[in-house]
Amino acid sequence: MTGPEGLRALVPAASVARISRRALLSGFVVLTATGALTSCSRSTAFAESALPDGVLESNLNVYSWGDYSDPANIAKFQKNGTTVQLDSFGSNEELIAKLGATRGTSGYDVIVPTGNYIPMMSANGLLQELDHSYLTNIENIDPLYRDQSWDRGNKYSVCKNWGTTGYAYDTRVVTRELTSWADFLDVAQNEASKNVSVLEDPWEVTSMYFAANGIDPNTTKKADLDAAEQFLVHKLAPHIKAFNSSAVQSGIPEETFALMQAFNGDVRQALLVSDAPDAWKFVYPTPTANIWMDTWAIAMGSQNMDAAYAFIDFMLEPEVSFRELDYIGYNTGVTGVEKMAEERKFERPDLVFPSEEVVKRLTPAVVNEAAERLVSIVNRMMAKAGS
Amino acid sequence: MMKRKKIDGASALGFPTWAFVVFFFIMPLLLVLWYSFGYKPDLFTAHANDVLSFDRYAEALDATFIGTFWNTLKIGLIGTILCLIIAVPFAYWLAVKLNPKWRPLALALVLVPFWTNFLVRTLGWQIILSPRGFVSDFLQNVGLIDGRLDILYTQAAVQLGVVYNYLPLMILPLFVAIDRAGRPLREASADLGANRVRTFLQVTLPLAAPGIAAGSLLVFIPLMGDYITASVLGGAQGNMIGQLVASQFNTAQNWALGSAMAVLLMIFIAAAVGACALIALVFRYFIRRSRRVVLSGGAA
Repeated sequence: MTGPEGLRALVPAASVARISRRALLSGFVVLTATGALTSCSRSTAFAESALPDGVLESNLNVYSWGDYSDPANIAKFQKNGTTVQLDSFGSNEELIAKLGATRGTSGYDVIVPTGNYIPMMSANGLLQELDHSYLTNIENIDPLYRDQSWDRGNKYSVCKNWGTTGYAYDTRVVTRELTSWADFLDVAQNEASKNVSVLEDPWEVTSMYFAANGIDPNTTKKADLDAAEQFLVHKLAPHIKAFNSSAVQSGIPEETFALMQAFNGDVRQALLVSDAPDAWKFVYPTPTANIWMDTWAIAMGSQNMDAAYAFIDFMLEPEVSFRELDYIGYNTGVTGVEKMAEERKFERPDLVFPSEEVVKRLTPAVVNEAAERLVSIVNRMMAKAGS
Repeated sequence: MMKRKKIDGASALGFPTWAFVVFFFIMPLLLVLWYSFGYKPDLFTAHANDVLSFDRYAEALDATFIGTFWNTLKIGLIGTILCLIIAVPFAYWLAVKLNPKWRPLALALVLVPFWTNFLVRTLGWQIILSPRGFVSDFLQNVGLIDGRLDILYTQAAVQLGVVYNYLPLMILPLFVAIDRAGRPLREASADLGANRVRTFLQVTLPLAAPGIAAGSLLVFIPLMGDYITASVLGGAQGNMIGQLVASQFNTAQNWALGSAMAVLLMIFIAAAVGACALIALVFRYFIRRSRRVVLSGGAA
């Protein structure tokens, strides 16, 4: 030690003499204040995107769900001279939290939000409006999957993959022929009791009751919600074994459940690895079910927009799109992929390409004022099922 | 003139620790507390604090929360006790019986599971416990169960999962405590005529009490907030309170209510720990009283 003025710290020797407790503390005050300001400010200022200038950038940052694109497609796109950096998130909330907190400086260019979150995200300025002149392949998308209720005119997003909700049942346990949500609820309380799994998603769980009773699944009427709570908590919950969105993946091959609410593509994957696929049936239930759509969108503040547009446009080419479909197991909505699937002996196409009649009766889930109530209903169901 | 105080060597070394505690523990905790007095203003905003109230607490304390909390407390207490029952003999064997040459290896083996991600380990149990898994086949072959193993997505599976996940946190402090009690004291006990059981119960175990307390806290507290194990193995029967809090932050996007639930959970867990500590202290008081040796003629 070099006397009272001496101080040991991990800083250059020349600056040691200048560090006093006051200096250190004032440094902290600045840090804390900055932190407080960034977390509390209600400012809506967003970093501007760098608009396309016709020169393909050498980097592209894509923020998507885990393992949600065929690596062969990414490799092919990179041959044009753009390196693609893939990052993954696990929920729309995670995506929104990250984009919202960084206010346009996240560094992400292409993102993959689910369609029903688009209104929320665009209202909060998280999305860059799309210039369709850079997306000529948008015409490849079947009109059925364009111009959706949550993004009229595809202002912010284009279809990446879509799926729908239905249920699978073990015909060795349930010998009846099932077709509707009313059938599901009935079997769940009888043959399949205590052998049932539902998705861990409040909208999906409550929509079963609404659909079975001829009510709009996006209802916000208090009377409807009360009736749903009454039935779901007291009648249905005691028969449910699990609230688990991935139950079907092991549920079919391991035969853990007899009746499972599930997404169509997940059921297909599970049936492909099952040793008794013929024992299972999948139902696209009447009268309606969710149609969810994951979309390509560009994050506000993107600095690589030429590459972002090129990437999305590339993904909408029929051949590329088919590889995506084959890899992920969900329909991409591009015209012609169904025919390719037929020609190339794609297994179980019925679980990826429901008939047009089925597609037309589906209802996209809306994030509305009832959302919190739906969470509370499902939490009550879980508490009831566990008691 | 007052002399300006400088940070000397020792305080400078302590700086990373308190900076870490302030930034990553105290500030987030205060933020959660602050959010819990706010509300959810509209569909697209998770919290706002321009009007402060205790309303979120009233909202949080409903039958669902309390019911789920009791369920969680049951899993937590049984889990901690099971960890204790398994860890005490094992730590004793490790510290006393095992050849010291092998001790580092045994300790390393206890820690090996930590090299793998928590979620992946828990998912592994999903495969082990599945009705068509090898455990199920084995139990059917030896005739212990008729029909397939039906444990996955039940409370028993969660119970098993938490014991597996948190057991090392019990073994390590217990091992340290028993190891530090040392051989000389056990030998002294034997010299004074105590048999092995009596030595264990009256010398080794009481000296390991701080380790038992530390291990129990290390297991019980994180276990009460765990929601991964319950989400993966639990199903409807093994629903835990952590899932309820997570659903407010994620699905409902109501950070105010989620924060209020988190604060309540902290208070409840602290109360549960306090109650257990009180029971332990009363227990210790009676044991000490029954064993007190009054020296004849002494003024004790």
